[in-house]
Order: sequence, then C-alpha cells, then structure tokens
Amino acid sequence: MFTKKTILITLVALFLQGAISCSRAVVTTPDVQAVSAERITLDPNDKVWDAAPLHSSKLILQDLVDPRLMEASTQEVFVKAITHGGEIAFRLEWADASQNDLPGPREFVDAAAVQLPTKIEASVPAPQMGEAGKNVEISYWRADWQAIVDGRADEIAALHPNATVDHYPFQAKPLENDPNAKASAEMRYAPARKLGNNRSGPRENPVEDLIAAGPGTLSPGPNAWSKGKGVRTGNGWAIVLTRPIPEGFSQASPTQVAFAVWEGTHQEAGARKMRTGWVQMLQK
Amino acid sequence: MARVNNWQLGREMSYWYPESRPQKQFAAVFDTNKCIACQTCTLACKTTWTSGKGQEYMLWNNVETKPYGFYPLAWDLNLLDMLDGGKWNESGERPVYEGSTIFESAPAGERVLGWRPEDQDYSYPNVGEDDCAGQIDGGASIAGSHDMAWFYYLARICNHCTYPACLASCPRGSIYKRPEDGIVLVDQGRCRGYQECVKGCPYKKVFYNAMTGTSEKCIACFPKMESGIQPQCFVNCIGKIRMAGYLNTPENARADNPLDYLVHIKKIALPLFPQFGLEPNVYYIPPVHVPTSFTRQMFGPGVEKAIETYRSAATDMDLAGLLGLFGSSERVMTKWRRIGETITGLDDDGNILVNVPLKEPVHIRPAFDTLHQITRVNCP
Ligand code: SF4
Ligand code: SF4
Repeated sequence: MFTKKTILITLVALFLQGAISCSRAVVTTPDVQAVSAERITLDPNDKVWDAAPLHSSKLILQDLVDPRLMEASTQEVFVKAITHGGEIAFRLEWADASQNDLPGPREFVDAAAVQLPTKIEASVPAPQMGEAGKNVEISYWRADWQAIVDGRADEIAALHPNATVDHYPFQAKPLENDPNAKASAEMRYAPARKLGNNRSGPRENPVEDLIAAGPGTLSPGPNAWSKGKGVRTGNGWAIVLTRPIPEGFSQASPTQVAFAVWEGTHQEAGARKMRTGWVQMLQK
Repeated sequence: MARVNNWQLGREMSYWYPESRPQKQFAAVFDTNKCIACQTCTLACKTTWTSGKGQEYMLWNNVETKPYGFYPLAWDLNLLDMLDGGKWNESGERPVYEGSTIFESAPAGERVLGWRPEDQDYSYPNVGEDDCAGQIDGGASIAGSHDMAWFYYLARICNHCTYPACLASCPRGSIYKRPEDGIVLVDQGRCRGYQECVKGCPYKKVFYNAMTGTSEKCIACFPKMESGIQPQCFVNCIGKIRMAGYLNTPENARADNPLDYLVHIKKIALPLFPQFGLEPNVYYIPPVHVPTSFTRQMFGPGVEKAIETYRSAATDMDLAGLLGLFGSSERVMTKWRRIGETITGLDDDGNILVNVPLKEPVHIRPAFDTLHQITRVNCP
C-alpha cells in the first residue's frame, strides 16, 4: 500500500530522473547537418532553428603561429545550420559571462567567425586560415559592430560617457552649412575610413566577408554577402551568420566548416583566438 | 628569428626579419637641455594630425617630466621591470650590451616582450609631474643648492626604429618601413586593430583608435620630409631643441652631415633605451644636471662622455656652431659647414639654406633715450 510518504519520494525521484534525462536530452551530432528550412532567419531565437540538429564543437587554442593564445578560454561552440533558397544560415551559441562590445586601448570585443573552403575539393585547405592556392572564405561577426547596428552612436561619448571634447576641426562654424566640406574635413582625420577599411565604422552590418590563403593573409572578400545578428543569451552569445550556400555543396557533396570565437575579456583578437579544425558539413 | 647587426648594442641580435636598412634613415637629435616643456610641439602635432574622432587621447608627440612623468603611465618602468637588461661590457673600444633585448626575451607565443597600457594609463599626461624629486631644506633655494632635487623634460615622438617592434609584432604585416627614408608607417587600409603593435612598441608610440578600429602612429610628417621640410614638432619648437635629417651607420658617418657629426663623431647625442634593441633613431643630448646613474639607464653607457663633450662646446667652435643651427631653418639641413664665425646649413645639392653667426651680435641700448629724451622701460 502506498503511503503519502512513498508517493512523495516516488514523485521526487521521478522529478529528479526527469531533470537528469532533460539535461541528457541535448543530443549532438558529430558533424554539422544543414537542414532545409521554410525560410532563412537572422534571429537566433526564431523557431525555425528548432528542427535543426545541434552540433557541439570543442574549441582549441590557436597555438600554431605567433602571436598565439597560450591559455584556453571558451571551451565549445554549439552550432546549427539551415538552408533555404540558395542561402545557408549558421547559428552559433557559446558561453561568455561578460559582454565585451566597447573597443579601446586594451579593450577587446567578443567575436566569432565561420570559415568555409572556397572550393569543394578532395584535399581540403589547411584548417587554420587556408593556404596558398586553397583559399578559405570567412564570415566574421563582432559585438561592437552589433552594438553600432543596434543604435550606438558613432561618437567617443558612446564609448566613454564622461568624455569631453573641446572641438573637432570638422565641426567648425563655417562648415555647418556645407555637409560635403564637413564630411571631407572629417575624413582627413580618419585615414582608415578614407581608404575604405572595413574595420572602420559607422556600420550597417555587424558582419564582414573575408578571404584568406594562410595565416597573415586575411583580406576583404570579393563579395559582401554575409549578414548576421548577435544577441546575448542568459550566459553568453547566440549569433546567426548567413551567406550563399557554398558552390557545389549538396547532399552528394559535403564540405568542411570551421569556427572561431574571440573572448574580449581575455584580450583575444586576430591570431589570439579559440578555434576548431575542419568539421564535416552535410546537407540534409 | 634572423640575426641582425645593432650598432647601438655593439653586437648582433635576434630580430623577426632579416636586416634590411633603408636607402637613408630619418633621424633626429633632441637637446634635452634646451627644452622648456612649453608643449608647443605637442600642440603642433595634435592640430595637424590627431584632431579626429578616436584620436582624442593620442599624443604622437608628448613631453614628459622625468623622473616622474610618463605618457602612458610607467611606459618605461614597466618594461625595465620585465627586461633582463642593464649589463654593458665596457672593456673594449665600444661598449657591448650583454643583457637581453625585447626580441631576445620574447615569451613563448609572443614575437616580442611587451605589455598593454589601458585607458587610464593615458588619462593624466603631465599631471603633477613637475614636482621636485627631493626635499629642499629651508633656505636651500636661496643658497642655490638643489642636491637630488632635479627633473628634466623628455620630448618624445616615434623613433622610426631600424628594428621596429611594432612592425615585428604585427601578424598581418600591416606596418612597413619605407625603403626610401626609413619612416615607419601603419597601412591604414590593411590594419585590423589587433593592437599587437601597441603591446610590442616599448616606447608606446602606436595608439589604438576605437573609432576607426585601427592603430595609428607618428608619420614623421612624411609629406613635409619628402619636400625637404622638417616635421611640425621640429619647426614649431620654441626651445629650438630639435634637428631632423638622415643618419648613416657609424662606418659610413660623414662629418658634413649634422646628425652624423653629433651622433657618431662627437657622440653627444644618444639613443633612448638602446638596451631594448630597436636601434631607435631619435637621439638625445642628455641633461647635464641629472645624476648619471639615472641617465645611463635611459641613454646607455655613453652619457658621461657625451656630457663632457657637450660642456666643452664653449671652446669648440664646430660643435657650438652646429648646435646653433638647431631651429634656424624649417628646411632639412642634410649638410653643414663652418667657415670662420659663420655656420651654414645646406641641402643635398649644396644650396645654402641658412647662415648663422657663431655668436649672435649683442646690442645694448642705453636706458636713457637721448633722441626722445625719455627713459626706456622693459615692459610695454
Ligand atoms: S618607436 Fe615604436 S612605433 Fe615607432 S618605429 Fe619604434 S617600435 Fe614602431
Ligand atoms: S616645443 Fe620644443 S621646447 Fe617646447 S616642449 Fe616641445 S620640444 Fe620642448
């Protein structure tokens, strides 16, 4: 006969079992499986992601070329991929307790990237930034660009709320009614912008397209086709990166994909990053 | 790492790239004894080059009061603490550095030994640094004795180093040293703002611009230098402490090149922290009134001799004459000569840029003006 006490114990036991099996319920796939979806989304919280299998990639140190990352930070990145009408979207999620989106001296920003071989070939490029004759294409997202796209002003006061500036020459009175003269005067003090360096704000897209043929060769990609969006989760970032489906990628012809994550608190930038090797990507 | 020759160290050293000296090397001599810390140079640079968004905190030229002034905070002390340096073997004809350079002591995973300043370290240039370094006893100022109570002004720009640590640190090769004049520049189209150069430069003369997302630095006013005119911080210098030009290696030194004469022949102008190993190209005439235990660490083992020679300028017409050429023309004087009491600055083609007398003529006007029947006063 059941007593009240045994019922309670049984319920608690069932509850605990449920909780444990819930955490076990996160089944991950050893490869990235891009599933066909009803639409492409930039929203990491869109329900279209629910149908995509989850891949978990262990991140390793970039310790092949100097400067290296000597101490590991982000452990793993969770990846989903969907395709629709010629586009592929990746959803990356990783744990990062601190939000770093304010750049400055010794201030580094959170970022992540997806890398694909430019050509699908039997012999794949070196997983770290490709190699000569075997280019890789990279879609790169940054938290500070996201903040600008989300409405942060292109002003020093947005980075340093207490900053005071006496005067910028391009804000001189005589230029007030001449926006062209004003813009060109401002450009004179921002050579990187003048040269069209993608690094320089203001930005409308938190993502940059890049190509590389080995470490140190990263350059702007010929196509600015990647888009993206990043949002804070309870304990880190969830971002979406979209781009055209790699040429030749089909159910019969899988490709490789690699991921990288930069943790701002840990002063990671450029070569100092956590990364994966190539991971097989299948079209489902 | 390659093996390269660093004449300032009197030996070979390790560097990230093989030795490749430019056709000529931009260089400068600063006479610390004449600087009055008016900061005109700082402002001349600021208004010319760094008045943009993200450049607010940048001083490509700064003047700090030693020993307690820094920009950024403790830029030199931090590295001196990290570096196994300071050992010179002075038994031979030339001193040989026996410590480690920042390239030779690069930790695993790094290209050079460096550190990163933060926002705060740039926040208080010149605040409170002009205070005496020692207690002045009652009456001492009247007696004129300031034992241990000294300071001096150190004007600093990028050294356009022969072995730039900024260049060696950049994993993308975004920094280059111009083969035509040795000026070191950050390619603003290629830089991706990793701040490796900021970490690597021991003099902290590369600055991260958060608004352009790139690192920026002193460009030695290269458009001016290309047309034979000295940079802004030189031509605006109130104390006339500076001379810009081109420096040869010691074995190619020419007595008619003003910088060669001061650096290689008279040896009165010394590099800033030669032990770091960059072969910096701004040379300083050390302050004569500062304990050499301090200036030896900053300018190397040539300090005592340099001061002795500098003090002898009163009886050395060539040296006195050349020092008088400082600040006398805005043109780059690549040659000089003295004939009698006239010192001449010339360009490469031998054109005369300026003549200065060895001694400025002195006119004494009597206090009473007989013509106007009035006593002159010195204030307007
Ligand atoms: S002083 Fe610094 S920034 Fe200038 S060339 Fe040397 S290492 Fe580079
Ligand atoms: S302008 Fe000349 S005298 Fe004035 S602070 Fe600069 S270097 Fe010194």
